[in-house]
Amino acid sequence: MKQAVISCLHANLPAVQAVLNHIDRQGIDTITCLGDLVGYGPHPNEVVDLIKEREIPTCQGCWDEDVVDGLDACDCSYPSQLAERRGHLAHKWTTEKLTNENKDFLASLPTSIRRDKLLFVHGSPNSQHEYLLPDMDAFAALERVEMSGAETLFCGHTHLPYVRELGQGSIRITLKNTPNKQTEEKEINLPMRRIINAGSVGEPRHGGSKATYVIFDDKTNNIDIKEVSYDIDRTCKAIIEAGLPSIFAWRLNHGFEFAELAEDASHVCER
Amino acid sequence: MRQVWLISGPPGCGKTNWILSEIKKHGGSCGYIRLSGFSEKSLEQANSSEIDFVFLKDQIPQLIDLSKPSDHLFSDQDDSVIFIELSQFYIPNQSGLAGIDPRIISQLENLKLLPDQYLHFGRDTELPIKDTLDFTKIESLSLNLQENVWDPPSLNTFWFELVNGAYGDVYRAKALLNIPDGRSMYFNWIVSQPGSQFLQLNDISPPKGRPQRISQLVIQGRNLEFTRIKSTINLCLINDSVLEMHQASLSNQQLAATH
Repeated sequence: MKQAVISCLHANLPAVQAVLNHIDRQGIDTITCLGDLVGYGPHPNEVVDLIKEREIPTCQGCWDEDVVDGLDACDCSYPSQLAERRGHLAHKWTTEKLTNENKDFLASLPTSIRRDKLLFVHGSPNSQHEYLLPDMDAFAALERVEMSGAETLFCGHTHLPYVRELGQGSIRITLKNTPNKQTEEKEINLPMRRIINAGSVGEPRHGGSKATYVIFDDKTNNIDIKEVSYDIDRTCKAIIEAGLPSIFAWRLNHGFEFAELAEDASHVCER
Repeated sequence: MRQVWLISGPPGCGKTNWILSEIKKHGGSCGYIRLSGFSEKSLEQANSSEIDFVFLKDQIPQLIDLSKPSDHLFSDQDDSVIFIELSQFYIPNQSGLAGIDPRIISQLENLKLLPDQYLHFGRDTELPIKDTLDFTKIESLSLNLQENVWDPPSLNTFWFELVNGAYGDVYRAKALLNIPDGRSMYFNWIVSQPGSQFLQLNDISPPKGRPQRISQLVIQGRNLEFTRIKSTINLCLINDSVLEMHQASLSNQQLAATH
């Protein structure tokens, strides 16, 4: 059965509509959303309403958590003072615009969704705020998947779609002070694990301005990363009309993310 | 025998860099002054004289600043070379010294600097032409940023947005900007070149308090959104407590390195 995974919608209604239409045209019924329904974009309520209306199972993203938990639950992932201050402007605007009903909905979202050996999260199994970048240390990446008990981990947050296969993994352990007072060494071979990043519907960061998502076929294990055009001018116009910083429209229109990635990809918020 | 050269050209044509290479070639005593030139109809001059001099002085520490009367140390007999840089949009209608703008001649007389050579970018083949653009309309923004210190990653983002058109069509941008570790960064960009020139000045201020040296940003282009530019800059500048934190951290590192 084919299923679609979408992530990082960022209140960009034209992009979400275009992606859902694209999925519908392929006859795919199972859709999972990895969160960040809101943040930066001009349509927070409209996007939340659409996800509720379509009854799409959704994980809580870092922005979804932040607008519920008060002023950013995690500021430390901002890569610059400029990004942080712009993020705060977007946060304040979004918090003011979101209805209480939609805030309650975002608060009710789970941090992960598990289906057999598939695990769906926003950032990583550890945190909605942790980036699993495609080039992160292989051992750390494998640890994230293995410790979560999943064979395939679906994540978003980085806005970079990718498929990473972690094969021939092993963990070597040295045991000291064993009952027979001898040092014992054990090696555990791990089966193939995969990390699949769905990219971003509402704020692409893959070098282009098209929305991205993935289709997973659980019979063949095939992954297809999709790019979808949408009416980007409509979103940009709405950003400006909404009174959000107009630089967001310029950045989106040029295929640049609203705020850049943190330098430390393995950053985990300790708050 | 002392030589006085007048070098003019439109913004971004490479006047300062050409003068720098000539000073290096000459090797002897050199003086420099920049005349701001005149705005013409729909062509607005920017005041970047301090950026150019600070940059040249950093590269050539013995360079004499002729904008200060006390630094007029040349005699007519030595083999020094004096460079007068002039921003000028139009090509002189006569060749050689006869092409000097009459409005400039009186300034030169006041400075007691009468040119022996006059070269204009776009007129004289001795000068490179690849970055010499013919502007029909140009707006200018000059910002004094003395005592201001930038958050480095924010500066990186701002400069990227600026030269890629987020705040209007920028043709020319240059700056001397302070970062928290005491360095001053020279930024230089022209629309005809694919990338920006970034250079760390050799002169590093001790990271203590707010830097007192020259810091400026000059932007020239069309449809420039001055308010948005200033607003973004304000989001990039660090406050006193953040600056103190950076400087305390640097002091601790230096202390640890000396023990």
